Amino acid sequence: MASSLENLETQLEMFIENVRQIHIIVSDFQPQSQNVLNQKLLALVHGLQEVDKLKSQVQEVHVPLEVFDYIDQGRNPQLYTKDCIEKALAKNEQVKGKIDAYRKFKANMLLELSKTFPNELSKYRAIRGDE
Amino acid sequence: MMGDQFRKVEQYSPKSSPRGARSPVVSRQDSSGTLKTTILLGKNPSIVPSGPFYLMKEPPAESELTGATNLMAYYGLEHSYSKFSGKKLKEQLSSFLPTLPGVIDSPGQQDNSSLRSVIEKPPIGGKELLPLTSIQLDGFRLHPGALPEQYRYANATPIKKHKNKHKKHKHKEGGLPNQETTVTDAGSDTHEKKHKKQKRHDEDKERKKRKKEKKRKKQKHSPEHSGGLTPSQHSNS
Repeated sequence: MASSLENLETQLEMFIENVRQIHIIVSDFQPQSQNVLNQKLLALVHGLQEVDKLKSQVQEVHVPLEVFDYIDQGRNPQLYTKDCIEKALAKNEQVKGKIDAYRKFKANMLLELSKTFPNELSKYRAIRGDE
Repeated sequence: MMGDQFRKVEQYSPKSSPRGARSPVVSRQDSSGTLKTTILLGKNPSIVPSGPFYLMKEPPAESELTGATNLMAYYGLEHSYSKFSGKKLKEQLSSFLPTLPGVIDSPGQQDNSSLRSVIEKPPIGGKELLPLTSIQLDGFRLHPGALPEQYRYANATPIKKHKNKHKKHKHKEGGLPNQETTVTDAGSDTHEKKHKKQKRHDEDKERKKRKKEKKRKKQKHSPEHSGGLTPSQHSNS
């Protein structure tokens, strides 16, 4: 997967570089540049063909749509990754806190119930085991 | 009237339940002290006493992975976390794609280059990509000469801030011609402004001088001093 992504990246970079060169040629066009321009245009089509060939290799790559918003706003997409990681960590800590609180609550509850209803609790423990 | 109504009700209401105080369906023989019941629904619904507690269900199956574990460590993402949380990331897209030419930090909606638009309005695809024939290439025969300015500089590579700062000191050494022109234009503008300021300053000085001299004249009232002014000063006053 990594190699196919690298291939695609290389192809896209070459394509962009080709377009950039066409831009330079066209910006101040000289008659003798016509042949070079024609070659570049053919290379452009070839570049598109190469990118099209690679599409089958990256079918399984899933990109979250929210990343596009970052890119469209001219922002670094790594900020999205950073935000996601920070959110996941915060949520993980929150859930861990809840689980710990429930565990403590259960332990306290069993303790207090065993004081108040010792018979029932022994029956309960017999059913549930060592929980 | 009211009394009659109550009497009527009393007549029709049963004084005791025909089956006693017990529910007709479920027998309440709880001699064992077990209160737990299992309710079975379906074609033959039934209630079966099955334990000492009400509403006691089987606990949910425990999953190995819960929020109690450090998921960042579990999935081996600690390196990514330290990578992104440690250093301060640069905001601009160009810092992520430094080799990409053109202005890429501006919002994509401005020039219809947003990725979102590619998803919302997918381009026509599915056609085979064929190389251009020589006849088709004839359509790209261009006239010699430079493009109009608005097209020439629209996609110019943006120069980073520190580079600009560098150019302020050494703008003669190189850089894009358009930038040089803007730099020199800006320079001449500032020079003109300075020049104007200098002019104004000089004029103010002259005015003050003249005033002083007039004062002196008035104070002395001597005919000798009246001839002291140069012709230019006369004409100016």
